Amino acid sequence: MRARPGFLLALPAWLWLVVFFVVPVLQVVWFSFGRKPGIFGTHDNSVLTLDRYAEALDPTFGTVFLNTLWIGVAGTALCALIGIPTAYWMAVKAKPQWRGLLIALVMIPYWTNFLVRTIGWQVVLAPEGWLSTALGALGILDGPLEVLNTRGAVLFGVVYNYLPLMILPAFVAFDRVDPTLREASRDLGAGRWRTLFRVTLPLAAPGLFAAVILVFIPLMGDYITPSVLGGAAGSMVAQLVAVQFQAGQNWALGSAIAVILILAIVATAALGYALFRLVALPFAAARRVKLGAP
Amino acid sequence: MQDTTSSGAPDRHGAVDLLGVSRRFGDTLAVDALELHVEPGEFLSLLGPSGCGKTTTLRLIAGFEQPDAGEVRISGRPVTGLPPYRRDVNTVFQAYALFPHLSVAENVAYGLQQKRVGRTEVRERVADALSMVQMREHADRKPTKLSGGQQQRVALARALVNRPSVLLLDEPLGALDRQLREEMQLELKLLQERLGTTFVFVTHDQGEALAMSDRVAVMRAGRIEQLDAPRAIYDAPASAYVAAFVGQQNFLDAHTAIRPEAIAIGADPMPGEKAAGTVLAIAHLGEVTQFLVGLADDRRLLVRRPSRDAPELGLGRAVHCAWDEADLLHFADGAGAAIPAPLLDTATAP
Amino acid sequence: MTDEPRLRILSSRAAAPYLRAQLTRRGFLGVSVGAASAAALAACAPTGSSPELDGTVESALSIYTWADYEAPDVIQAFQDANGTTITLDSFNSNEEMIAKLAAAKGTAGYDIVVPTGPFIPGMVENGLLMKLDMDLIPNFANLDPQFASQVWDPDNEYSICKDWGTTGFVYDTTVITRDLATWDDFLDAAQNEASGKMSMLDDPAEITGPYFWSHGIDWNTTDEGELDAAENWAVEELAPHIAAFDSYPGGGGIPQSLYVLMQVWNGDARFGIMSSEEPDKWKWVLGSPATELWMDTYAIPTGAPHPNAAHAFINAVLDPDNSLLELDWNGYNTGVADIEQAAADEGLELLDMVFFTPEQVATMQTGVVTDAQQRIVDIYNKVKAAAGQ
Repeated sequence: MRARPGFLLALPAWLWLVVFFVVPVLQVVWFSFGRKPGIFGTHDNSVLTLDRYAEALDPTFGTVFLNTLWIGVAGTALCALIGIPTAYWMAVKAKPQWRGLLIALVMIPYWTNFLVRTIGWQVVLAPEGWLSTALGALGILDGPLEVLNTRGAVLFGVVYNYLPLMILPAFVAFDRVDPTLREASRDLGAGRWRTLFRVTLPLAAPGLFAAVILVFIPLMGDYITPSVLGGAAGSMVAQLVAVQFQAGQNWALGSAIAVILILAIVATAALGYALFRLVALPFAAARRVKLGAP
Repeated sequence: MQDTTSSGAPDRHGAVDLLGVSRRFGDTLAVDALELHVEPGEFLSLLGPSGCGKTTTLRLIAGFEQPDAGEVRISGRPVTGLPPYRRDVNTVFQAYALFPHLSVAENVAYGLQQKRVGRTEVRERVADALSMVQMREHADRKPTKLSGGQQQRVALARALVNRPSVLLLDEPLGALDRQLREEMQLELKLLQERLGTTFVFVTHDQGEALAMSDRVAVMRAGRIEQLDAPRAIYDAPASAYVAAFVGQQNFLDAHTAIRPEAIAIGADPMPGEKAAGTVLAIAHLGEVTQFLVGLADDRRLLVRRPSRDAPELGLGRAVHCAWDEADLLHFADGAGAAIPAPLLDTATAP
Repeated sequence: MTDEPRLRILSSRAAAPYLRAQLTRRGFLGVSVGAASAAALAACAPTGSSPELDGTVESALSIYTWADYEAPDVIQAFQDANGTTITLDSFNSNEEMIAKLAAAKGTAGYDIVVPTGPFIPGMVENGLLMKLDMDLIPNFANLDPQFASQVWDPDNEYSICKDWGTTGFVYDTTVITRDLATWDDFLDAAQNEASGKMSMLDDPAEITGPYFWSHGIDWNTTDEGELDAAENWAVEELAPHIAAFDSYPGGGGIPQSLYVLMQVWNGDARFGIMSSEEPDKWKWVLGSPATELWMDTYAIPTGAPHPNAAHAFINAVLDPDNSLLELDWNGYNTGVADIEQAAADEGLELLDMVFFTPEQVATMQTGVVTDAQQRIVDIYNKVKAAAGQ
């Protein structure tokens, strides 16, 4: 038997994927069918059951799932609405000599620990924090700022925390589109907007999808931002998972919640993609030119 | 070629006029108060080494660049300040710039769709344009699946399908291998004659420019050094710069040169003999044969004779050279450092 | 059941609230405790064994405790005096600590653990703790008798009080200008001036606790009707006004004025007020007419590799001088006799939040792990859901 060299080269990557991704996920799935055997154990799979899923889907947790989905979708959408035009501007409009500096400015917040950054916003957004005081002094705000411990604060926090993850891949996606293609489009009679929608965006689309997914997935699983900024109204599923695994020591229930979260992420991403295709399809069809055989 | 085409346009339809146009990039004056008048239906080449301003000139006409001073007119109408999509010109780009996400037919249809041409007419005109460049059967393929020459044809069809009054070509043949390039030169020329469209063609290849153009503008440092018919450019270069760039020259001194093919060479002394030396190198280039002759004073002469009547001379052979005083070229500007193509380089080919 | 560890990891006060919530004890007491069943534990009996107890202090000691809970000065002094290297490891909940001990079957390698009182019977029943040798802890005599002999370990066979605390609330007197004194006042303020600006401890038993305490019902009730009433009270009357569940408002809530009314443990409240730039605007109120008393204990797990060092350390922290250092570090009453006078002599601040009168102590109830535990957790989840809407 002769192994193909391509397969051999990919072997470490496959091993990595299996050992560090597939096996742990399968283990979580396995735990989710078990139960917590009592205070002195974390999981017991001697009897397989779906009861943990019933517990996890209880309406009391449902609020948190809906909240997570709302923050995940709205946060990703906001990151896209802010990040993609910014990336476009950086890659296309900004002078090339400024690009290094602009990328550095996007990255600088990442040199600070995620947690410390978020706590920084807790301090800023506090009812008696400097922002509240400043807005009050300027007469913009009557009374203290009351955004902390709301879903809005979490939304703000995740947009702040994940925006660079949107901007950088989107920047690469736009940067990889040959600028002469834009010139060709304009030369052929398309204005800036039509060039954007017919050339730049379609060509950057795979990279932009990657950026959106890259933001959506970790955002849905964010634990720190809602813990620090969310309060009672802004809790997210990752907090439930953490509580079950750490404090509760109930790995079975924690796994069931985690599995549901994974499924929710996959389903939402698939739904989003399908919606996008559905909207884009008629436009693409209208411009298709099929000449067929001569 | 003063063919005036179609459609009740002003009498300058298809003309391009640059009136004192300048374009500066930082400290560099890429185009310097340029005056250029391209006649309707003309095939005009902008020729020069990289950095001479020829591509910037083309981009000023296309609208990708706006002049810092002066005015651009297309078909007699001022277009200064207009964006590319509001100018009746189309461009064939150096690397073709075909849209990789669209099929060949969709690439060609792109410009028509922008003008809101009806679907049926789009299909007809796209089919016609692709037939014109013999790419009809590749209509539904993606451009990335095509060879360089095929992509080049698609780019040409994509520009011409819009029936621009002026077609701009930015070194469109540069990426092709030599044989294909020569074929395409011929095809381009025939196409241009058939359509009567004004072509402005940018190249650094003097052979290409001379072969295809009605007129050639040799550019240097953002200005036109000489603008004339190919024959005149070759036979009567206005400066040492032009003479050196267009064909090869033997500079006898800073202001006097003689073309390699104007020199007679033989083993025996001859009437009107101007120099004698030994053969350092011989290159048989098919139709012509070149000799590099080392003179007594260490200078070298490049001599080019038709292979049919080239003398049989071996390496190291003592030879005599002669030329007609009338064939000498005299330049006021003198051969300075700007002169490309030193003698030796051209003569060492095997 | 809780303590107040101070956070000295980061110089920035800003990082404190999160880290405290993460690292400190009392993260999630009681979740799933009710599910504990003796049958499931039978297989957990430890198999590890310890060296002989002969009073020869070993060169190493491993303490498994709540984060940042032991006074560094005491640790350092013990290391210097005995040539013993101390290793500290931390857990977030009793369940986490118990699960680790149970899984290791006596080979976890810890010499001292710090469980909360009500968990001790279950740990003893499953053989997770070794009996203490009181001959090696002569300083046990220093402990105030009222904090020895607790219901979970009447003869102190397995555990000795580390410190104890209670629950009350802190409010911002610039916003709530009237005097609050009882849990009824607390609820009334939550529904009015403090609505949407108040926090509850992130702990199931503490959510329903105020209802029982204010209505004269045993905190450890298993009566369905009483639990239903508590649920109704917590979900309908309290939840809509909760801004956050925060077990350590002393780290951020008070110094950053995040809320105007906070349910809080006494040591944390004291720490928060001492950290505040405007300490005078905060008022601490001990829960009334009744409230809780929780106690953390020192115990030695079965199979501890350094039992002599463990006994020596427990003995050392019962020394009055060391005990005062512990109090200064975490702000809780260690239960060592005469420590109140020692603290006053030392000039420590806000001691009325550390020491309570016998009349006050008489109103405090100890928590017990009961069959209603899962129900309490369910109520807690419902309150969280209702507060999030």
